[in-house]
Amino acid sequence: MNSYYHVFLLLFFHSNLMKADTLNYVQKHVEVLLSKTGSCYMTPLPQECSSVLNDFADYASNFTKCSILNARPIRICENCIDHYLSFRNKYQELLSTVVNGTSCKSIFMSCDRLDAILEYHDNILSIWDKGHCDACYNWSTDVPKLSNETIHFIELFNGTMACINNTHIDPSLNDTQVICDNCMKSYLKLDNYYKTLSADAIGVDSICMDIVDSMNATRSIWSKTLNCCRIRKTPEVIFLVCTGVISLLPIFYYLVLRYFSPIRDLPNVLKQSRFKQTILRSLGRSN
Amino acid sequence: MSHLSHSSTSVADGTVSSISNIETTSDTAQLLSNEEASTSNYTQLNKSVNFEDSDDDEFHGSHGIRRRQPQQKIEPGSMNVLSAKYESLDYDTCENHLLLDEERKRGYAYIVWKDMARWFIILLIGIITALIAFIIDICIEEFSNIKYRELKKSVDKYVVQDKLYIPYLLWVLSNICIVFIGSMLVAYVEPVAAGSGIPQVKCYLNGVKVPRVVRIKTLIVKAIGVITAVVGGLAGGKEGPMIHSGAVVAAGISQGKSTTFNNDFKIFQYFREDHEKRDFVSAGAAAGVSAAFGAPIGGVLFSLEEGTSFWNQALTWRTFFGTVVSTFTLNCALSAYHGRAGELSFPGLLNLGKMEPFPFQFYELPVFMFFGVVGGLLGALWNYINYRLAVFRIRYIGTPWLRVVEACLVAAASATCGFLMMFLLNDCRPLGEDPTKVPLQLFCADGEYNALAAIWFQTPEASVRSFLHDPIGSYKPWSILTFVVCYFLLSAWTFGLAVSSGLFIPNLLTGAAWGRLLAIVIQAMLPSNTINPAKYALIGAAAQLGGVVRMTISLTVIIIETTGQISNALPIIITLVVAKWTGDFFNEGIYDIHIQLAGVPLLPWEPPPLAHNIYASEVMSHPVFTLRTVENVGHVVELLKLVSYNGFPVVDPPLADDVEVTTYKRLRGMILRSQLIVLIQNKIYNENANTTWSNFNVDMNMFRKEYPRYPSIDKLDVAEWEKTCTIDLRPFMNPSPYTLPHRASLPRLFRLFRALGLRHLPIVNDVNEVVGMVTRKDIARYRVWRHRGHMGMEELILSSEI
Repeated sequence: MNSYYHVFLLLFFHSNLMKADTLNYVQKHVEVLLSKTGSCYMTPLPQECSSVLNDFADYASNFTKCSILNARPIRICENCIDHYLSFRNKYQELLSTVVNGTSCKSIFMSCDRLDAILEYHDNILSIWDKGHCDACYNWSTDVPKLSNETIHFIELFNGTMACINNTHIDPSLNDTQVICDNCMKSYLKLDNYYKTLSADAIGVDSICMDIVDSMNATRSIWSKTLNCCRIRKTPEVIFLVCTGVISLLPIFYYLVLRYFSPIRDLPNVLKQSRFKQTILRSLGRSN
Repeated sequence: MSHLSHSSTSVADGTVSSISNIETTSDTAQLLSNEEASTSNYTQLNKSVNFEDSDDDEFHGSHGIRRRQPQQKIEPGSMNVLSAKYESLDYDTCENHLLLDEERKRGYAYIVWKDMARWFIILLIGIITALIAFIIDICIEEFSNIKYRELKKSVDKYVVQDKLYIPYLLWVLSNICIVFIGSMLVAYVEPVAAGSGIPQVKCYLNGVKVPRVVRIKTLIVKAIGVITAVVGGLAGGKEGPMIHSGAVVAAGISQGKSTTFNNDFKIFQYFREDHEKRDFVSAGAAAGVSAAFGAPIGGVLFSLEEGTSFWNQALTWRTFFGTVVSTFTLNCALSAYHGRAGELSFPGLLNLGKMEPFPFQFYELPVFMFFGVVGGLLGALWNYINYRLAVFRIRYIGTPWLRVVEACLVAAASATCGFLMMFLLNDCRPLGEDPTKVPLQLFCADGEYNALAAIWFQTPEASVRSFLHDPIGSYKPWSILTFVVCYFLLSAWTFGLAVSSGLFIPNLLTGAAWGRLLAIVIQAMLPSNTINPAKYALIGAAAQLGGVVRMTISLTVIIIETTGQISNALPIIITLVVAKWTGDFFNEGIYDIHIQLAGVPLLPWEPPPLAHNIYASEVMSHPVFTLRTVENVGHVVELLKLVSYNGFPVVDPPLADDVEVTTYKRLRGMILRSQLIVLIQNKIYNENANTTWSNFNVDMNMFRKEYPRYPSIDKLDVAEWEKTCTIDLRPFMNPSPYTLPHRASLPRLFRLFRALGLRHLPIVNDVNEVVGMVTRKDIARYRVWRHRGHMGMEELILSSEI
């Protein structure tokens, strides 16, 4: 409220002093007015801001396109890093650019309840964050590079897939055992390496989604398509016998107790002393 | 002098050795029948009650009461017997001269001080109960984590070698070892710590003194017992024991001393009486509920619904304060443990996990009612199975070591059940979609885990959370069905073993499982609708638990508070009420069944209906053992040794000692056995009956010092010459006990007795002469039964051997 007063006082004061270039003067002071009240409704937009916004929109669409194209199998982290970086940097630029004391941020953001720019930014980034894509990269250098773990994993993964694809089997027999035997070593190496990557048992918390998905795909191919993971080989006879014996023990125990437990004395009923009894007794006695 | 032939024959029932006396006609068990007695020589007790006498008429039943056939022996495990061993608490304040003296000396400052002390004690109760709950929580969680992690390693290692029996036997062995420790403690050290403890606390709050139930030893055994039971993989929960722990803590702190450690802190002496102690215990039980579930309001309501028979507004306030302190302390401790210190609204603190509000439509109310019916039926079945097992245990599993073996067998069977289910039902789920702590692959493909192993390889509480919150496709219907059947039977089998574990969590788990199963069925029938499995799992859990314990209000509030969602109140309450009604059609709540099996004379809320034609003269015990206002010490000692009664009317000496006429004597007051014992112990008596009594320095603390464990009369050393001394009971007796005329009806008697928490109620005739005495067992033997829509009243028999 105070700022309004200042502005109007200023306007009034100035108008008394010089009345020559009124138009120029008014326009200038409207800007002052806007800068004081918030710049959401400033027209026209400053050139710099609109060009930044334009670029930002382009990058957003590029990154979105890249994410969608790399959705299955998931390679978003690996393939869209450039789009992600430019998108992110442009957003920072949008936030930090200041034209004539007015920041582009104040023009574009928090002006209405839709807040489309911020909303799109958050949505687009959420896919990146949900996939823990940052975990794939080493961020200590200027340009992020694939971290050593990721590179090593990709090597192992490619090796395993190559092994699976390159082992020829007789299509008529449909016997995958050859593949299993051939690639077991590299598969196990990959699997074990994957397990070391995360502290938590499932690995959804911290591992980059590209790796998780590659691993899931490999495991699925390995144990379902190729059926290499036949754990249940024998019917576990000893186990079943053990469970049978142990489940029969309680029944046996109860039966023994039921039929062989020593016969105990049954509790006696306590005679209660009541008025009626004594009356009856005294009557009986007097008779 | 007609010295009567006195043949002291000890009757088989043991407690009351009756002196059969054929000659006398005195009906009031008058203690003297000759001239010499009044000169205070060695007195002879003449007792006209002949317990061997059998009157056939007695069992005919005069007013439509179902009476049992005359019988001398009772089959153990019968629900129609009251144990004569249980005694009542003295809730009524004894307004004797000592109390008046104390009030005169202390003034209002004392009252203010006492009030402040009460609040302080409640604060302590809240904090300590929560800390014990916290320790139990953490121990269970940490030990279970270690156990299941090691088992998983073992399974992972041996499954590829086709040696699954190794991890299986490892599991069985670890279960047995852990349960063995707890079971040994319970069976040999403190048998009263077995089970959930809620029935015992309920009896205590109803006014029955359950021996050893609020001792520190019980608390220790209970705490260790519950940790071993849950870690040992039994289908038990930690909630009941926590409630019991709260009660023990309350009883312990409020007394300012520990008899077990022989340590008197010389504080809070003024709370050393049954009245104050019971009020604190009700607050402690509430604090226990609050610590177990994180449900402060539920705790207060639990105390109100299940426990405390005598409730007042000030106590409600204090209880609520205690529960809030308890929840607050627990949340502080747990949030620090979870690494989020200070975040008291952290959703991980909610016991059953945060539940989203589920929208429900008007037409869904019948569905909830259907769930209630299912819960009631399953609950009644559960109670029936458990009842049969309890009877079997009473009859055949008597010795402690047999009970330990049984507990170990159940532990082994639990592991077998779990492992067989994992082995046979290959329910595989991809990793990462559901939150799983110990994903066990077993026979699943790489990248998958066994859904049943995930349920079994965690504490039952975590399993409840999984069933409540996991997405609808997480479990196959067949897996859930098998699980429901197994867990239902296991939990019914486990409750009542010689381990301390409760039934809340197992029943919530069973209920959540079948609720989820029904949700899947509904989803299959209505493919176009999206069914929220969490909603039906929660309703199912509530229904199952409600069907077993038959609580309504407190359970609703507890479930609301543990899921942090108040808008679900209506569906839950509808379900619970229907479950209770359905279950009540078949049998009683599980706690009541166990209370009845133990023969505890519990007084229900209401007097038996249609009982206005039963009069006090029928209810009362007839020949009353009375003491005169100035009594001979030898006589008092003899009387105390002879009978097991705890209250004696004090009467005027008879005007004429006429043995031929039935005489009753005028009531002057009531004196308790404990008071008499303290008087004799401190030798508050005089050689000469006519001396003034003022030179004794007696105050209330003399009586408080011995509380609550008074020595038995046999332990007291009374020299022969002392027996001729006299004792003036007037300053110590309660001069104005509540009395009723002999024509009072049973409902009137009941209400007076129950509402005031009385222990003894003398029945007087028109001229205020004592004709009989009513105690808790006299009233409790009239019990209302309800079964399949019929009801009636039966008269229970008493036994001193169960």
